[in-house]
Amino acid sequence: MSLAIKSQGLRMTVNGEPVELLVQPHETLLQVLRERLDLTGVKEGCGEGACGACTVLVDGLARRACLTLALEADGCSVLTVEGLADDQGLSIEQQAFIEAGAVQCGFCTPGMLLASHHLLEQNPRPDEAEIRRHLSGHICRCTGYAKIVEAVSNAAARKRGEEPS
Amino acid sequence: MSKQEWLIGTRMPRVDSEPKVRGEVQFTADIKLPRMLHAKVLRSPYPHARIKSIDTTAAAALPGVKAIMTGQDTAGVKWGVFRYTRDQQLLPVDRVRYVGEEVAAVAAVSPEIAAQALELIEVKYEPLPAVSDIWESMADGAPQLHDDHPNNINVHVAIEVGDVEEGFAKAHLVREDVFTAPEDSYFMTEPYAVVANPRPDGSLELWMPNAAPHQKAKALSNALVMPLNKVIVRKVAIGGAFGGRSDVFPAEFITAFLALKTRRPVKLVYTREENSVATRQGHALFTTIKTGVDAEGRVLARDITCYMDGGAYSSTGPIATSVPFLCMEQTYRLPAVRYNGYRVYTNKPIGGMIRIHGRAFAGGVDLQLDMMAQELGLDPLQVRLRNARQPGDTTPTGSYVQSCALSQCIQQAAEAAGWADKYGKLPPYHGIGLGTNSVQTGFPLGIRGGSQAMIKFNEDGGATVMSGVVDNGQGNDNMLVQIAAEVLGLDPGHIQLISADTEATANDPGAYSMIATFAGGNAVLAAAEDARRQIFEVAAEALEAHVDDLVAQDSKVFVAGAPDKGLPVGKVIRMALIQGRPVIGTGSFTPKVDHRREWLSNPAGQLSETFSFGASVAEVRVDPETGMVELLGLWLAQDCGRALNPMVVEGQFEGGAAMGGVGGMLREEHRWSDTPRCLNPTFLEYKVPLACDMPPIENIIVESMDPTGPFGAKEAGMSIAMSAAQAIIGAVSNAIGAPVYDYPLTPDRVLRAIRAKQDGEKQS
Ligand code: FES
Ligand code: FES
Repeated sequence: MSLAIKSQGLRMTVNGEPVELLVQPHETLLQVLRERLDLTGVKEGCGEGACGACTVLVDGLARRACLTLALEADGCSVLTVEGLADDQGLSIEQQAFIEAGAVQCGFCTPGMLLASHHLLEQNPRPDEAEIRRHLSGHICRCTGYAKIVEAVSNAAARKRGEEPS
Repeated sequence: MSKQEWLIGTRMPRVDSEPKVRGEVQFTADIKLPRMLHAKVLRSPYPHARIKSIDTTAAAALPGVKAIMTGQDTAGVKWGVFRYTRDQQLLPVDRVRYVGEEVAAVAAVSPEIAAQALELIEVKYEPLPAVSDIWESMADGAPQLHDDHPNNINVHVAIEVGDVEEGFAKAHLVREDVFTAPEDSYFMTEPYAVVANPRPDGSLELWMPNAAPHQKAKALSNALVMPLNKVIVRKVAIGGAFGGRSDVFPAEFITAFLALKTRRPVKLVYTREENSVATRQGHALFTTIKTGVDAEGRVLARDITCYMDGGAYSSTGPIATSVPFLCMEQTYRLPAVRYNGYRVYTNKPIGGMIRIHGRAFAGGVDLQLDMMAQELGLDPLQVRLRNARQPGDTTPTGSYVQSCALSQCIQQAAEAAGWADKYGKLPPYHGIGLGTNSVQTGFPLGIRGGSQAMIKFNEDGGATVMSGVVDNGQGNDNMLVQIAAEVLGLDPGHIQLISADTEATANDPGAYSMIATFAGGNAVLAAAEDARRQIFEVAAEALEAHVDDLVAQDSKVFVAGAPDKGLPVGKVIRMALIQGRPVIGTGSFTPKVDHRREWLSNPAGQLSETFSFGASVAEVRVDPETGMVELLGLWLAQDCGRALNPMVVEGQFEGGAAMGGVGGMLREEHRWSDTPRCLNPTFLEYKVPLACDMPPIENIIVESMDPTGPFGAKEAGMSIAMSAAQAIIGAVSNAIGAPVYDYPLTPDRVLRAIRAKQDGEKQS
């Protein structure tokens, strides 16, 4: 095998835990998360940045893991769907997705959840058009998006301490 | 169902949603097994060629390569849904018929090494002339794809009922129009993948996204020449199907073969492009529809000829060629009808059934009705109602319709949309349209047409439900649990579900042709009722009560009205165990269909025990400069029999409207080079609808309470996917004041229709 390019050290925090490993310079963050760290909640739907299924947050920003080299995340903090829930239970977004019926096959769900989390961190009061625009880099083939948009809107209300309308 | 249900009809959150939001469910590509190898497939660069030789020596010598297979290793095993359509070698021995067809496969210790090995395989091809569309293909002297199919006609469905010519002769108005659409695709978000694991006991377990585990297992047992109980298709999370996971593909055969050869687990994960090109695509259609109506718009006769581009092999050919016709004959009353459906081979990827299969068929039927209504000065809404199927009717090919609320769907959708205030009253380039459709819940599948279920109990009162029904994402797992919990009076959390695992579960027809709820749901309902009866028999003795007076609720059994004196279900189960009469519920359901019915030789008799019906209204605005269509709203009404879970049903409506209507009618199509090679196999070039593309949607659930569906349920969402697309055609044509015959309604096609209208006006 001629892939004898020198591996390099990668240090990052993934879902709150420090991780240190050797990676090849061409390895994507998606490969490292899925294959080396077994975080298979990160999905590969296209491998070319078009579907959004692989979205993770890198230092709080939504990134397509399939288009991100693992080494770009060196020194960063990475959040995947597996890190959304904590000891207290599911995140508000996760709970809202369940209750609104926003999950069908679930393949787009991890990316949708992280994109939603990212949106609500930036904008606690998005209107429907903003939610739709923000999620429009994420393909869902099952739901027609209606219940996902509803879930995000409900989650936003709940995060603000209001009852969803 | 006289008793009031406590869980059926509620918006119970799906049982599979928590593991999914946690990212914990495993899809096939997520599976990792010890010593697992990775497979890659070498594909044909030619649309049509003879394979002269394949040299795998260099590839085999690459360190890390563990096995290579070509058609020579497989004795040319063939696949076809029917005995008479077995025309696809699962790995071709001497000839390839489309760009992307499998030629060889490698298993290696990593996907990178497998990919590198593919480059070392030397295939010598002798390119043959290829055909890229149905007209070229059917022409005399065209290259023949399969020896026994002159003019490349793969399937011919011929149906004639009533006196069609007499109908036309009596008609007040007759129209003939042609409607077309190119290929479209599923684009389920999960790319295809297979894992095969040979086990020490000689069995082989497999995981793959599928719409019928038992059918996959059967096909593989034939191809691998292994007993059926040794080929085990396992449960796995599935990222959507939409008709595109129903058939059997070379991928599972290849993965299984490589696993058996190496005695190691093998995983094959398709790229997005492979998923588009090498599983299935929707058929291109060319449909000529001739309809005769009386002065009130009642259809007297219809004659349809449809040509479908089927690609290189048969796949579900006879079914695919029939279904658009069947949907239409179910939807509308038809005293006389003739249908000639031709599925034609071309050197393109294989055509399969898709959620909006036949958009240039159903769409044409409805648009033509609109045009005729206009010529007769009638409201299209009235014309629909005059022709709408009614309960108690029999379809032209002989299916009795036991429940049908199509007229209510049409009326309610129209009312919600404000049809009366809008039709004919909207400003220029602003239009409204109506579509209606009907789908079957299954069709005759012989010995594999029934579903069987079993329920066992643990001493703590928890139950385990076993059913062969598969969940592709639509919520079938939840449907099964919800039904069992309802009947047994158990919290859904106390029910463990084993589904779609052919080692454990008994036969089930699969989650295609909309049968999962009707057959699988009914089987689980029967099993739960059987178990409850056994529980009641034990409890009745202890409670000194009559079995008929007992109810099961909140994990307790008690005399109706006296919940305080009840027995916990766990206690009843323990009593039953001590008494040597353990509770095991079994149930089965076999739909009443006419088994003599056959797609080609005898298209007559009961097709499906029941049918669902839907009507959609669309409102649009069209930009006359650009041809861009802006969708202002969709009103979706379906007779789903009974909404077991309205939240799930709405999700099916909304998803159907997105894929069928917004995607299927406004943008989705495959484009081809002259080769022909698919030019847009990925998400970057093939435009599926996004969140920002969706209009406001109003869902209208109509419940006809089917007499034999579980709790009255039939099917959810499929007739919405279709009718939404039809409604959009009507709305756009209404907006521009001219019919649009070619789909999807992309700006170029809409502009062409506007120009044609303007040219026509100038000439006259
Ligand atoms: S897999 Fe990264 S965007 Fe599709
Ligand atoms: S739920 Fe299936 S792709 Fe979104």
